[in-house]
Amino acid sequence: MFQYIFRRLVQFVPVFFGVTLLLFFVTTILPGDPVALRAGEKKLPPAVYQAMRHQYGLDKPWYQQYADYLGALAKGDLGTSIASGRQVTDIFKDVYPYTVKLAGGAIALEIIFGIAVGIVAAVKRYSIWDTLATLTTSILVALPVFWLGIMLQYFFGIWLKNATGGAFYLPISGVSGVFPTWVYLILPSITLASVSTAYAARVMRSQLLEVSGQDYVRTAHAKGLSVSRVLWSHEMKNALIPVVTFIGLDLGAMLSGAILTESVFNIPGLGWTIYHSIRAYDYPVLFGCVTLMLFAVLFINLIVDVSYAFLDPRIRYGSAAGE
Amino acid sequence: MSNEMDALQGAANHGVKDPRTGLPATPPSGPDVKGEASGRNRTLMGDAWYRLSRNKLALVALAWLMIITLAAISASLWVPRIYGDPVAIDTATVATGALQSPSVAHPMGTDDLGRDMLSRIVYGARASLSVGFMAVFVSVVIGLILGSLSGFYTGWPDALIMRIADVFLAFPYLLFALLLLSVVPKEYRGGIMPVVLTIGVLGWPSIARVFRSSILSVKENDYVDAARALGASDLRLMTRHIMPNAVAPIVVYSTMSIGSAILTEAALSYLGLGILPPTPSWGRMISDGQQYLTSNPGLVLWPGLAILTTVLAFTLLGDGVRDALDVKMKD
Amino acid sequence: MTHRLRKVIAVSAACALSLGILAGCAPKTADTGAGTTSAVVKGGTLSYYVGEPAYIDPYNTQESEGTQVEQSVFDSLTAFDPLDATKVIPAAALSWSANADASVWTFKLDPKATFSDGNPVKAQDFIYAWNRIANPNTLNTSTKKVEGSSIGYHLAPVKGYDEMQAEGSKVAEMSGLKAVDDYTLEVTLKAPFGDFEYVVGHPALAPVEKALVDGGVKYKDAAGTEQTAAFGDMPVGNGPFKLSEPWKRGQYIKVVRNDAYAGVKPNIDGIDFRIFQDPNTAYTEFEAGTLDFTQIGEGKIKDAIAKYGEAADGYTANPGKQALLGSENSIYYLDVNNKDFPALKEYKFRKAISLAINRQAICDVVFQGTRVPADNIVPPGIAGYAPGLWPDSKYDAAAAVQAMTDAGFPGGKGAPEISLWYNADGGHQKIMELVKADLDKLGLKVKLSPTPDFATYLKQLGAGKVQIGRLGWSADYPIIYNFLYPLFNSKSADNYSKFTDPAVDSAIDAAEKISDSAARIAAFTEVDKTIGAQLPVIPIMFYRHHHVAAARVHDLTYSAMNLADFQKVWLQAAK
Repeated sequence: MFQYIFRRLVQFVPVFFGVTLLLFFVTTILPGDPVALRAGEKKLPPAVYQAMRHQYGLDKPWYQQYADYLGALAKGDLGTSIASGRQVTDIFKDVYPYTVKLAGGAIALEIIFGIAVGIVAAVKRYSIWDTLATLTTSILVALPVFWLGIMLQYFFGIWLKNATGGAFYLPISGVSGVFPTWVYLILPSITLASVSTAYAARVMRSQLLEVSGQDYVRTAHAKGLSVSRVLWSHEMKNALIPVVTFIGLDLGAMLSGAILTESVFNIPGLGWTIYHSIRAYDYPVLFGCVTLMLFAVLFINLIVDVSYAFLDPRIRYGSAAGE
Repeated sequence: MSNEMDALQGAANHGVKDPRTGLPATPPSGPDVKGEASGRNRTLMGDAWYRLSRNKLALVALAWLMIITLAAISASLWVPRIYGDPVAIDTATVATGALQSPSVAHPMGTDDLGRDMLSRIVYGARASLSVGFMAVFVSVVIGLILGSLSGFYTGWPDALIMRIADVFLAFPYLLFALLLLSVVPKEYRGGIMPVVLTIGVLGWPSIARVFRSSILSVKENDYVDAARALGASDLRLMTRHIMPNAVAPIVVYSTMSIGSAILTEAALSYLGLGILPPTPSWGRMISDGQQYLTSNPGLVLWPGLAILTTVLAFTLLGDGVRDALDVKMKD
Repeated sequence: MTHRLRKVIAVSAACALSLGILAGCAPKTADTGAGTTSAVVKGGTLSYYVGEPAYIDPYNTQESEGTQVEQSVFDSLTAFDPLDATKVIPAAALSWSANADASVWTFKLDPKATFSDGNPVKAQDFIYAWNRIANPNTLNTSTKKVEGSSIGYHLAPVKGYDEMQAEGSKVAEMSGLKAVDDYTLEVTLKAPFGDFEYVVGHPALAPVEKALVDGGVKYKDAAGTEQTAAFGDMPVGNGPFKLSEPWKRGQYIKVVRNDAYAGVKPNIDGIDFRIFQDPNTAYTEFEAGTLDFTQIGEGKIKDAIAKYGEAADGYTANPGKQALLGSENSIYYLDVNNKDFPALKEYKFRKAISLAINRQAICDVVFQGTRVPADNIVPPGIAGYAPGLWPDSKYDAAAAVQAMTDAGFPGGKGAPEISLWYNADGGHQKIMELVKADLDKLGLKVKLSPTPDFATYLKQLGAGKVQIGRLGWSADYPIIYNFLYPLFNSKSADNYSKFTDPAVDSAIDAAEKISDSAARIAAFTEVDKTIGAQLPVIPIMFYRHHHVAAARVHDLTYSAMNLADFQKVWLQAAK
């Protein structure tokens, strides 16, 4: 098992270098000038401009900048934002809690509803519940996430407020104000979770159907075991594996910053920060956040892989290898 | 996007094996075609069409898509005459003509610059459908080439290509798309091609992997060895033996991908980096209409519904195609 | 009529009559500051919206956010009168005078004035602060990195400034600054400059203490422990307020009344500058009652006026007249390259374009009437503005068609293709689409050409690539010079239109030499007229405030320079 984990860690290394190198290379082609952008409407005196470029290493060739970045990373220094002058680690500390809370809420919804709906749809195949589930998940999967967010804003923030004369409504923007913070994350979490939950439900359902057609399950039924016993003792363990992968990958994607959801609801989280750093050509923030994201995703993937060991004993005993 | 397929591919990559056959787990089958007798005296395509024609949902989806496509292609013939130009503004009347509620003349109302919404939605379909089809085409072409190289020539080409695919997949999708669009030179910005190329380039790893798995699973069969022993060239093996088996998953995946591509284009246009005005685009219409949410929610509602129905149609069609080809896949 | 109906009518009439009487008897509250009939109540904390500032250290405050906060904590030598652009009022300087040709200025400071930490404010503190702004190698105290100020241009008129800016220069002080004694500051300028008293009124030219800049600012945190903050995070000034804790980035800046202040002490106890990334979120909070002053949300201006009432003078908020819509000292215009492109070089062609643009439609559709069509490059709030000086800056579709024919392109035939440039990140899309629609009507071939970000856009402008492009200009000081010189002097770096007229250059120089302000303003008005007759650029609209105050706020004046007068404000919730 440890061998397995170690192998996954080793596989991460080339991916890390590949991603950061690609990122660096792309930003060298980016046409914008972060130092000039920072000055805004007023033009910087040439001496000041040169000094700042030198400060941020922007006058060095890109491979040199990359080497500097790696060196600083080894020391735990993620650099300084060009736009605000703050340490990237400070910025990250300020913004990632919102993204984590958002992702946490969304994943919880995804796990509960995704698995539940998937099970119901599979167990009650051909019934009205199955059709309803299939239709709902199909619609959710086809929805643009940001549009769903805006529609939720309209119904729960505006229409509901008018209908109840201002008595009852959910906040639709930002993270602070009249309500405690978690209330502001209700609608965004639902939005973020929606599409993923639909996918998770579909995967759960199709996996269960696949598994239920197999010989050992038919044997279990033939032996006289109850439907729910067969479900939980035999089918779920196998069916869950791809679902767990899916949810794990999803958590990684959410932690990478739900750019669209955070944009619509004005949540100052990681996705929002990364998006703005692209617009402002604020490379240190971009690299720093992407680096941290990669590590976070690696961590989650590892956990997902480890969870396999509990779901599938064949892996625990090392008979299946990663790629 | 296309998370479902990726997740299952991911599952396969994590070494999950189908307990029956011992081979890597394949993408799941559809809901209710198990146990159905396959018409063995029919061709692959014939069988598939037969199955598809019995799937009502998929037929409705197909019909809807054909309506939208026809409307979009022929738009310049009838839309401006009946409903008005989607782009032109008349500043003399714009103040009174803007933000009108739905009426006979303007079934979906007008936008904040006085232009007919229905007209803009139909023209927006052009952008979305073009991006959808072309982007997937690009992905498929790149994916087929790299996937077959990878599947055929195991060894360092395979490892290299798969590692590059890993890097592409590890990069957060939207972030990568935004970066690529940011480097587009000014003259080409806002057009369809940059978006097509971006989505296309980001989509190749999944197609390549699907294709590669097909190749790998077929390669292990004895008849391939037999064919080789008989002197068949690589190309012949590809076209006569491997492609027919690989076609099914790729067709299914591509159909679903068109829907994803449309969603991605909408997201990129919403964020302001995809298709720019004056070309109407559904995503951009949503972001433009957002500030009028309280007074004229229609500005956001209609483009969203347009995206929803189109992508839903592709999804249902994709489901139907998968079910139709399914029996062949499992054979 | 039935008995019942008669009763109903009688009761209704009685009600209407009594309501009418009551309405007539309601006390009339005056609109502007000192006219309210209720007595000033002291105390309370004003909750005030700002976007995240870039800097609040005076050495680099540049945008409105930072300046608003900074000016509550610092006093410059003079200040701009919030309601009258022709007046400069004393602040840190009790009095000042200039020599005969306005090239040497002497400011007398108040010997009783202190910083909020008790140290006296001396001329040397001003000299140190100003050199800090001009020096390209100044340290940013928050990041500890070298970061020269981008607002050094304020001090460009001072003698010795250019020597400091030269490449590789080691000069760290401007030769034109001299402390005659501790409380007398003498400034020698490069050239005569009658408006210099306005320049020194800019909030950024405030004094700072060298010891605090170098060593940091000591304060006690919530737990009572003594901490040290960088000067840029917790500046210490000589103004009516002081920071009670360091700037909490992304969240708030808290200031409290400075009881050691030598001038007029504020009525309120303090101000919470609450930082919002998005003004629409701030407006939502305002409507919920948790914010006292903010910008009105996008698309909600008419609602706000209906709900909160509109201030009569446009700048001062009082209960019932809370929405502020006064004009700001900013102009939105289309810069035209007067040099590098055919047709655009010709006055007649520019005239046709200018007359074709329906400015009112833009103001109505995009801004719901909170902008006003511009008929001059100088906004109405600036002394020297007069209507009719730019006769072609208006909408007249028929005259436009005629002018196009006069220019040699009847119906637009034969005219070159025009590209309209703008920066895509600034919300100018709709405006440019409307302009394009108007120019299309003239028969011109017009192309929209967005640049991804503002910095790149400025670069293109500077390189002369832009044919017609949008620009905005905000006054640094409320003087007409600040519009005419930077935009039209042939040597100015902000003159993107490449307009060159030696007569105008020398007229501006001559006007600046006049010490009598009325005569100077009249001279500048003439220059404005000369420029307007040539129409080098096309003014589009003037900006206006779109702000609103809560019902408990009294006498809050938010000037045309986007500066709030926090000393007069007082708070009292409606009973």
